[in-house]
Amino acid sequence: MTGAEEQRKRKIRRTALIMAAIAVAFYVGFILMGVLRA
Amino acid sequence: MATTAADALESHDTHEHHGPEKGLKRWLFTTNHKDIGTLYLVFSLVMFFIGGSMALIIRSELMHPGLQFVHPEFFNSMTTMHALIMVFGAVMPAFVGLANWMIPMMIGAPDMALPRMNNWSFWILPVAFGILLSTLFMPGGAPASGWTMYPPLVLQTGDAFPFLIFSVHLMGLSSIMGAINIIVTVLNMRAPDMWLLKMPMFVWTWLITAYLLIAVMPVLAGAVTMLLTDQFFGTSFFLAAGGGDPVMFQHIFWFFGHPEVYIMILPAFGVVSEIIPTFSRKPLFGHDSMVYAASSIAFLSFIVWAHHMFTVGMPLSGQLFFMFATMLIAVPTGVKVFNWVATMWRGAMTFETPMLFSLAFVFLFTIGGFSGLMLAIAPADIQYHDSYFVVAHFHYVLVPGSIFAIFAAAYYWLPKWTGYMYNETAGKWHFWLSTIFVNLTFFPMHFLGLAGMPRRIPDYSTQFADFNFMASVGALGFGLSQLIFVYILLTAKRGEKATDRVWEAPRGLEWTVPSPAPYHTFTTPPKARIAQESFE
Repeated sequence: MTGAEEQRKRKIRRTALIMAAIAVAFYVGFILMGVLRA
Repeated sequence: MATTAADALESHDTHEHHGPEKGLKRWLFTTNHKDIGTLYLVFSLVMFFIGGSMALIIRSELMHPGLQFVHPEFFNSMTTMHALIMVFGAVMPAFVGLANWMIPMMIGAPDMALPRMNNWSFWILPVAFGILLSTLFMPGGAPASGWTMYPPLVLQTGDAFPFLIFSVHLMGLSSIMGAINIIVTVLNMRAPDMWLLKMPMFVWTWLITAYLLIAVMPVLAGAVTMLLTDQFFGTSFFLAAGGGDPVMFQHIFWFFGHPEVYIMILPAFGVVSEIIPTFSRKPLFGHDSMVYAASSIAFLSFIVWAHHMFTVGMPLSGQLFFMFATMLIAVPTGVKVFNWVATMWRGAMTFETPMLFSLAFVFLFTIGGFSGLMLAIAPADIQYHDSYFVVAHFHYVLVPGSIFAIFAAAYYWLPKWTGYMYNETAGKWHFWLSTIFVNLTFFPMHFLGLAGMPRRIPDYSTQFADFNFMASVGALGFGLSQLIFVYILLTAKRGEKATDRVWEAPRGLEWTVPSPAPYHTFTTPPKARIAQESFE
C-alpha cells in the first residue's frame, strides 16, 4: 500500500469516527436534556 | 477495526480479477456498492407494496361512510404501520439504494469507503422490518398511535410496544451507518480533480442529507429510548402524573421529524437536477446556487419543528418565529424550482419517461409546497390541524414528490444498471396512469380537510362521502398502476441493448463506463474533468 493510500485510509477512519461521535453526542445529549428537565 | 475500500482494493489486487459470488452468498456477504444498491432498491420496492396494501385497506374502509371492513383499532394500526413502512422502509431505503449505486460512479470512486459497514447497514433493515411486521400478529395488535408515537397514547400499545421501539432503533442505526458511509465516501474517495463544487447535484444533495441523518436520527433514537424507560423502568420523562411533560416528546420528535421530511425530499431534488438537464440538452442552470439552496433548506429544517405543534399552545413570539422561519424555506425552494424551469427554458426538450416523472415532480411537489405554506400560517393552521388538508399536503410532497423522483431515477439509470433499454411505451403508461390517479387520490383531500374532516378516523359524516369515494377509486387505480412498473422491471432485459451513454446528452462520470456497469468500476481514479469536458 502506498503512502497516499495509507493516508487516505487514515482520513476515512478519522471522518467515520468523527461522524459516529457526533451521532452519539446527539443521542446522549437529548436524553440528558430530558433527564435535566424531568 | 473498520474495513475501508483501500483494504478491499488491496486484497482485490492480490487476487485474480473476479465477478460476483454465485448464489445466496453473493447477496448475504456482498461488499460491492452495486449489489448493495440493488438489495436496497428491491427491499424498498417490496416495502412499497406492503405499505401500499395497507393504504388500500385504509382507502377501502373510507370508500363509504360507516364501518365497512375492519375494526377501528386495526384501522389505526394500518395508518401507523403504513406511515412507518413508507417512510423508513420504502422512501429512505430507495434513496440509499440509488446513492449506493450511483455515488461511487459519479465521483469516480471504486466503491463506498466502508464496504463491510455498508453490508451491515442494509442487512439490519430486513431484521427491523421483520420485527415491525411481526407486531401485526401480537396480542394487542400492531402499534396504533400514529407514526409520531405520541405519549401517553403510545404507552397503551400492547405487547408490540418494545418491538416497535427496538425496530425504530434498528432503522435509525441502519440510517446512521449509511449516512456515515456516504459522508466518508464523498469527502475522501472523489477522483483527484472532482472538486466539491463540481460534484453532481445528486451527490451534493445526498451529502447534505447524510449530515441531516447524522444529526436527527439519534434524536429519534433518544426519544424512543425515553419512551421505553417510561414504560418499563419507572421514569417519567413524558408522563404528567410523574412530573414529566408529554409535550416535550412532541418537541423532540419534531426536531427529528421535520428534517426527516427534507431527508426524503433533498435526494429527490438531486435526482431531478440530474434528469432535467439531460432531457433539456442544457447544463443545469445555477448549479452553485442549487448547492447553496439545498444547504439553506437543510439549515432551516432545524429551526421550524414547532410548526407541527401550533395547537399545543405556545407563546405568541414562538408562533411568530416558527411561522416566519417556515415561510423562509419557500425562498431556497423557489430558487430550485426557478433553476429547473430556467434549465428547461429554450432547451431542446424531449419527454422520455424519466423526464415526464421529473416534470410531474416539479409541478406536483410545488402544489405540496404551496399547501405547506398555508399550513405554516399559525392562525390558519389552527383550523387545518389534524384535518385531511394535512394528509393531502404531505402526500403531495411524498408521493408525486419523493416517489415520482425515485421512479424517474429508476427509469433514468435502469439502462446503465441492466445494459438494456426498458419498455418506453409501458413506462409512459406507468407515468400517465400514476399521475392521473395520484391527483384523483390526493387532490380531493384538500377539500375534505377544508370542510373539516379529521384525519385518522375510520368513519365520517355523510357530507364527506363523494370526495372520499373519489380518493378511494384513485388509490386503487394508483396501486394497480404500479404493477406496470413491476412488469417493466421483470422485462428490463428484453429491450434493445443500451449504449454506454444511454441518453443523447447526459453529463457525469457514470456515463463513461460501459452499460451494464461492470462489477468493479474506477479501480484507478478517472480524470473527472477530462471526462466531463468530453461531453461538452
